[in-house]
Amino acid sequence: MTEIEQQLRQLKKDGRKVLGCFPLYPPLELFYAMDITPVVLWGLRGAVRNTDESDRHLQPYACAITRHLTEFILSGHSRFFDGLFMYNACDTLRNLPEIIDAGLSERNLSLPLVNVHIPMTLPVHTDASGYFQNEIRQLIADLERLFNVQFSRDQFVHAVETVRHLRNLIRTAEKRVTEGRLSFLAFSENLHKCGFLPLEDQVRTLEELLEDMPDKGEPGASDGSCPGVILSGILPPPASVITYIEAAGLRVKGNDIASLGRSYASMPETRADPGAYFLDFYYQHFPCPTLLYTGDRRVTSLIDLVERTRAAGVIFVGEKYCEYEYFEFPLLSEKMREKGIKTLEIEIAAEDDEQTSAHDARIAAFAELLKNPG
Amino acid sequence: MPKKEKTSAAKNLSRVVGDAYMDLHARAADGAFVVWIAINVPAELFHGFNNVVYGVPESHAALNAAKGAGVIQCEKAERLGYSTDLCSYARIDIGSVYDGGKDSPTFGLPAPDLLVSNTNNCSLLVKWFDVHHRNMKVPHFIVDVPFCYQPQQEKDQQYIVRQFQDLIRTIESLSGQKFDYEKACDALNHTNEGIRHWKRFLEFAGHRPSGITAFDSFVQMAPFLVARGTPQFADHYKLLAEETACRVNQGIFPVPDERYRLFWDNIAPWHQLRDMSGRLAALGANIVGATYTSCIGTVEGSFDLFAYDGGDVLEYCARTQNCYMCPHGMKLRGASMQGVVKKLGIDGVVFASNRSCKPYSITQMDQQRRMAEDFRIPCVMIDVDHADARKYSKESTFTRLEALLEQIEARRAA
Ligand code: SF4
Ligand code: SF4
Repeated sequence: MTEIEQQLRQLKKDGRKVLGCFPLYPPLELFYAMDITPVVLWGLRGAVRNTDESDRHLQPYACAITRHLTEFILSGHSRFFDGLFMYNACDTLRNLPEIIDAGLSERNLSLPLVNVHIPMTLPVHTDASGYFQNEIRQLIADLERLFNVQFSRDQFVHAVETVRHLRNLIRTAEKRVTEGRLSFLAFSENLHKCGFLPLEDQVRTLEELLEDMPDKGEPGASDGSCPGVILSGILPPPASVITYIEAAGLRVKGNDIASLGRSYASMPETRADPGAYFLDFYYQHFPCPTLLYTGDRRVTSLIDLVERTRAAGVIFVGEKYCEYEYFEFPLLSEKMREKGIKTLEIEIAAEDDEQTSAHDARIAAFAELLKNPG
Repeated sequence: MPKKEKTSAAKNLSRVVGDAYMDLHARAADGAFVVWIAINVPAELFHGFNNVVYGVPESHAALNAAKGAGVIQCEKAERLGYSTDLCSYARIDIGSVYDGGKDSPTFGLPAPDLLVSNTNNCSLLVKWFDVHHRNMKVPHFIVDVPFCYQPQQEKDQQYIVRQFQDLIRTIESLSGQKFDYEKACDALNHTNEGIRHWKRFLEFAGHRPSGITAFDSFVQMAPFLVARGTPQFADHYKLLAEETACRVNQGIFPVPDERYRLFWDNIAPWHQLRDMSGRLAALGANIVGATYTSCIGTVEGSFDLFAYDGGDVLEYCARTQNCYMCPHGMKLRGASMQGVVKKLGIDGVVFASNRSCKPYSITQMDQQRRMAEDFRIPCVMIDVDHADARKYSKESTFTRLEALLEQIEARRAA
């Protein structure tokens, strides 16, 4: 049994209402506030044996995230969920509810779906706040009906504040990574594990992780010998690639990864009205190629991240077939070059297993380049 | 073999398309306000202005592909670092723009003053237009069309209407021109008239043998992309429908010994139109219709005409925003496809799996299964990129198409 399966089993054993969320940025605080346990269904490569079931439904040129997600649900794991949630994150994901439904109905199974539409218009052109707030109101009504729960503003504020505390803990852990006191691998594995835990257990896990690592201490290695890099992409690269990056003497100084930094970077002001809170959450979100209205902030935010962390290079981790990311790589690379920042682009495909070594030589050469820039 | 005489509609098509591109370049050179739009942004709105012209990068890319320049333009974009996995329309367009329109049959498009993309067929198009927005430093307006699993909801229609109003205001303020509602209304009437004739033209696929091929209809789509909202648009489709009626009456059919009536699902294979139609005809097969051409002038879930009734222009335009195959879900797609397959007496469906267009292709495996199992229609999946000829294998495609015809025969024999 995989660790994720064990975690989901435990959630069900504890009587939780589990909502499987399609990536990337679901309104988690709302679910927590309504006593629903959301789990974001990404990073499932290690939780599926193959993509046999998904390959019956999805074209081979769907991205790995989608294929693994579909495989996971169709290969017997739907029983762990009480429903699915999605929003218009990308063209592939918007078709997935019906594809999964087709796969489940072949097995005489079904899962209720709740969804919202996040406006992708530019706020400077169109005020979509009324439309969006109505979407959130409708979502709350759907959740109340489906899960037999009640929304309460107090619980919402509590959930917002707990999530804020959690994100602060994550930032502290990230700082430990930049100081060389925690490996990026351990950091990202812990966060991935947290994604399948109830909120209070996530907080505990992070607190325990940080307890073992007091605020003041000896950094693992001096900055001089470990050039800093930023990782950018949808998911962190597979463990073997991260291990190789760190073994090559590179230190991850920050990340622009959808499942990590882009998710925990945003901390809107606490508000009791979920419509107003999530309006801030989505509109002020750390830029992501899938949040179309953040396009103009994308380059500057990445440059800012690089400058703030004094990273020497950026590693773009391309999710094969994720065109959202790939449309931006040429411009981002060019802008980095203009700033004297070196870049490396690697690509991770569904077929790559955890032990991929295809990128080792390029990472080693990149590390050398950063260490000896002359 | 004697050269096939061009029909009047074919000759007129060249004229309408040629004139549209020439007019676009000439008016842009004379100072018109130039908008680049996604294929299904309602072009009728631009006719509400005195001097606003529009170019459609997707249609320009299709033309490049049809005229054999697709791969050259793709390669230019790839040399700039754009992945070969990106939609080939986008690569063609980016390559062409980067090279100043060189190798393009229309010398590219005149430089835009405004980019208007949408999330309708795909939200990737927004990323593509963002490339231009950043490189050319031109404003970019995004029209957001919610995807639908059920018929479009009122709240979504009103949301789209508000965006059209904002688009009009944006153009007014950028161009200094005033929008005239009546002119947009006239333009929509021309479009509506043209679409009525287009639907009449498509109906000839129901004749046995079919009066048309899907390949004809692919080619004849061009005015939708460059001439909507004009009297020429309406006149062209009238001519097309009337000429086709005449030819059918005279017993002139594109595949006279038609033995297999097929239906196509995906974008046209622009680089293969002549070759594929010729080879299929030699096998007695005719692709008589396509989802790509049938969805025009409809609303999601049916290929029946959804005519403009003289009501509010923006409401009508908003209501038809989900009609294309990509902005609605699998069940709605299946419903319209089943209807037309039945109506046209289709023997087999060709699902063209298209790596470049994931939104069109992503549900095809389930669609195919549904067609084959629930409706007992033989189906085949072939691989064809709509504009990048490098991602197409003629031989393996025809092996599969021939297998489909054998399957149809076997079913008949049983
Ligand atoms: S990786 Fe890209 S294509 Fe895949 S689900 Fe995420 S946004 Fe969509
Ligand atoms: S991906 Fe498909 S829908 Fe989007 S621009 Fe390309 S061909 Fe059009």
